[in-house]
Amino acid sequence: MQRINIGEFEELVLLVVAILHDNAYGISVMEEIERQTHRKINISAVHSALDRLEGKGFLNSSVGGATKARGGRRKRYFKITVAGQKSLDYIKAQRNSLHDQIPKLSLEYVSI
Amino acid sequence: MSPFDHEPPQWALKFLRFYCKPRALEIIEGDAYELFYKRIENEGLKTARKRFSWDVLKFFRLRYIKGLEDIETLNNIIMVKNYIKISFRSLVKQRFYSLINIGGLAIGLAACLLIAMYVSHELSYDKYHDGADRIYRLNGNSPARLAIQSKTDIPEIEETLRIQGPFDQTFKVGDKVFKETNGFNADSTFHKIFTVDFIEGNPEEALTEPNAMVLSQTLANKLFGYESAVGKTIQVDGENTLVTGVVADPPQNTHWKYNFINSYPKESWVLVGNWTANNFKTYAKIEKGSEPEVVQEKLKELAAEYQGPLIAKYSGHASYEDYLASGGRERNFGMIPMTAIHLEYPDFSFGSGGDINNVYVFSAIAIFILIIACINFMNLSTARSAMRSKEVGMRKVLGSRRRQLINQFLVESMMVSLFSMVLALGLSALLLNGFNLLANRTFNFQDLFDGVVLLQLFGLVLIVGLLAGSYPAFVLSNFKPVKALKGDATQGGKGSAILRKGLVAFQFAISIFLIVSTTVVFQQLKFLSNQKLGFDASQVMVVKNANSLDQKRETFKTRLAQFPSVENVSMSNSYISGGMSDWTYQTMEDNPRSYGFINLFVTDTYLETMGLNLTEGRNFTNQLVTDTANVLINEAAKRWLGGDKVIGQKLTRGDGEDYTVIGVVNDFNFESLKRDVEPMILRMMGKDGRLEEDWYSANYISIRISDNYLETVGRVEDLWKETVSDEPFEYIFLDESFNALYENEQRFGKLFSASSGLAIIIACLGLFALAAFTLERRYKEIAVRKVLGASVKSITLMILKSFTQLVVLGAIVAIPVGYMVMQDWLQEFAYQISLNNPLIWVIPALFVAIIAWLTVSFQSVRTATANPIKALRSE
Repeated sequence: MQRINIGEFEELVLLVVAILHDNAYGISVMEEIERQTHRKINISAVHSALDRLEGKGFLNSSVGGATKARGGRRKRYFKITVAGQKSLDYIKAQRNSLHDQIPKLSLEYVSI
Repeated sequence: MSPFDHEPPQWALKFLRFYCKPRALEIIEGDAYELFYKRIENEGLKTARKRFSWDVLKFFRLRYIKGLEDIETLNNIIMVKNYIKISFRSLVKQRFYSLINIGGLAIGLAACLLIAMYVSHELSYDKYHDGADRIYRLNGNSPARLAIQSKTDIPEIEETLRIQGPFDQTFKVGDKVFKETNGFNADSTFHKIFTVDFIEGNPEEALTEPNAMVLSQTLANKLFGYESAVGKTIQVDGENTLVTGVVADPPQNTHWKYNFINSYPKESWVLVGNWTANNFKTYAKIEKGSEPEVVQEKLKELAAEYQGPLIAKYSGHASYEDYLASGGRERNFGMIPMTAIHLEYPDFSFGSGGDINNVYVFSAIAIFILIIACINFMNLSTARSAMRSKEVGMRKVLGSRRRQLINQFLVESMMVSLFSMVLALGLSALLLNGFNLLANRTFNFQDLFDGVVLLQLFGLVLIVGLLAGSYPAFVLSNFKPVKALKGDATQGGKGSAILRKGLVAFQFAISIFLIVSTTVVFQQLKFLSNQKLGFDASQVMVVKNANSLDQKRETFKTRLAQFPSVENVSMSNSYISGGMSDWTYQTMEDNPRSYGFINLFVTDTYLETMGLNLTEGRNFTNQLVTDTANVLINEAAKRWLGGDKVIGQKLTRGDGEDYTVIGVVNDFNFESLKRDVEPMILRMMGKDGRLEEDWYSANYISIRISDNYLETVGRVEDLWKETVSDEPFEYIFLDESFNALYENEQRFGKLFSASSGLAIIIACLGLFALAAFTLERRYKEIAVRKVLGASVKSITLMILKSFTQLVVLGAIVAIPVGYMVMQDWLQEFAYQISLNNPLIWVIPALFVAIIAWLTVSFQSVRTATANPIKALRSE
């Protein structure tokens, strides 16, 4: 199986873009991550991750309309591509399969 | 008020617009604005503005900076990568040349690195003391009262200090006995002149009381095993002494390296003392901003005031002015900057072993070796790159710009010099121990890999790389592509061939010069050791510390004389080669003349023990009590006195007593042969070592041994231990001690042989590669010659001839320079070899020529014997 070239933060961003469906742009992604994971992140990190994911072909982007809330600037909406979805599926499957292999004993042991 | 009425910080916005790529700018700005408005509502305007700026700053990433997508820039990075790759390939392809290039340069750089470390260490001596530039030593030796008197009389003098030493003393802690060296006496102000790091004890009070001492940390640890030493008592030469301080060991780069410092026994030592007896080393620190010249002038007045009357009295003049008017030497306390003592006044430096000449010689050698290595590097780079004219032509045809070609060659030479640097670091680490022996220093890896030294080396490497690479880079990049491709340019031009040959001849010149110097130094040393000294130094053993025998001196001596292998025993107050002091005596003529005669007190058997001969008169005898007022003189003293009849002539010390000359001893060298035999006076001490009433001075016992040296030394040692149990047994052999006087010269000789060896190795490496290269290019020519009937012998000779010319040229340059430099060096010696011996000059030149022939002949024979068809068929 070929290795999926994706980092932890990128994976998070990719998931959030998928969740947000057609309202995924820089700030919405950042806020969603902050809301769900309580991580403090900077907008520039999100942008950079989005750009990288686009470069890897996991995201598509299109430019949307300008609003007053943005001082008259347009936003760039991101959409997950088929390749992106496939890699998310693959990562999930792999994680699940690894989780399932943890012996019960050790789980209990850890939970103490 | 709506949040949209506010504006984010303009500078941040401007900055964003300045750096950001146009494609991403609008989106980033939009997000930043949106966050800004939101934050105004949630967190207030101030925070929002702050965070807006922060966001913008965080967007300053490689990804968003405009200009980086610029094709030109990216291409440059790729080109640099390409340069490195091509350089590497061409180095690997011509392994042989590259190895010689890198190896030769590495040897040169390693030598330079070591020497740079040495030189910077030597130059750093005593610079670390607070206000080091205001501290002066007043003369080499000065009177006891100078320190306190000058401080009182001259307001510009801030502080003074007196030091005496070095001494060896015997320490007794509990029942353990230690013999400690490098001890000094010093005033309590020593920490105000020298910067001293007190670990224990109060610096202000450390040396204020008599019988107090300060120990270095190493010594304190040795004596008291890492316990606190302050407050403990040591028996120093039998006297109870209180340890009042422990100081950090003095650093390597000070001329005053002490193990322990004693306080002065009595306060009166400051206030009494003869103004003409120079027994102290006096240091003075002058006030900030005061002129040394002014202080110097005041010191001269001080000398006139206190020394003047005494000198006038001793010399028999009515006043000091009279004395000066009749041509007497004006007295002064010369101010010697402390930072200059180590290098420029080695005699005043307590044996710190510095010499400004060493610094010059070492630096010159470093430069020589580096020049030789650089010449190799340049020669080979030029020669090799000429082979690459086709590559250059091809590159040009394919659109390479001139600058890119220059870069290509520069990168290549930089790579070679960087590789050499890495190799040089390893080499110098390996050679460090050997270098320490040569330089008489104790450097460790930390000194070697010191940041500043490394930075200097790196700078040097860059310069070397740039210099060596620039010639091929600029010449080759100038080629016309068509010519280069046709191969016309491969001849490299007549100019560059002459340059190459000149450089090789220059290398030979340096090598020959160094070998000539080595030969002269060793010849001179051999000459000195074969010189007749006037006494018989072999088989004489000198036992030190004889003063500790005290009352048992005579019994010790008598028992020694009973050993069958002991021929003769005598005592003296100092020993030959150990340094003797001069005492001023005056003639008792109508116009008295005075001179500082070397003064030695001996027992009556001394002449016999040392193998000295009387040329006139008689020896001392213990039977005559009056002989303590009689003296022997040497022939030099006789010459000074003048006249044929010296026996019976009288001398005086100006203290009312006079001494009659009863005999003349042959001249003998009691110091190194750098100095001529000086006028000397031998005076008698009693057989019990007594000079006068309570004055014993038999410090050394000289023993002439006939055979069984080892056994005899053992027996003498046993006898010593039996007689004095708490004093270590120390002895020397006179001939060894005499030879040790030339230690510096011997080191000099070794330095020269090591460096000439290095120079030869590097030069030969270069020659070897150059010969290989030249022959490769003349391959076809030689083949044609062979086809037309030239013999192997004639071809080999032809090739050797062209290289021999270079050696001859080098010799012509080197020999006159060597003659002058060595002539100068020999001036130091009173006894010199003659430089007009042609062998000194011919043999080194021949030696270099033979090495050059050996280097070249292998290749020339191989080329000459090769089958000409192979060379001719290849086209």
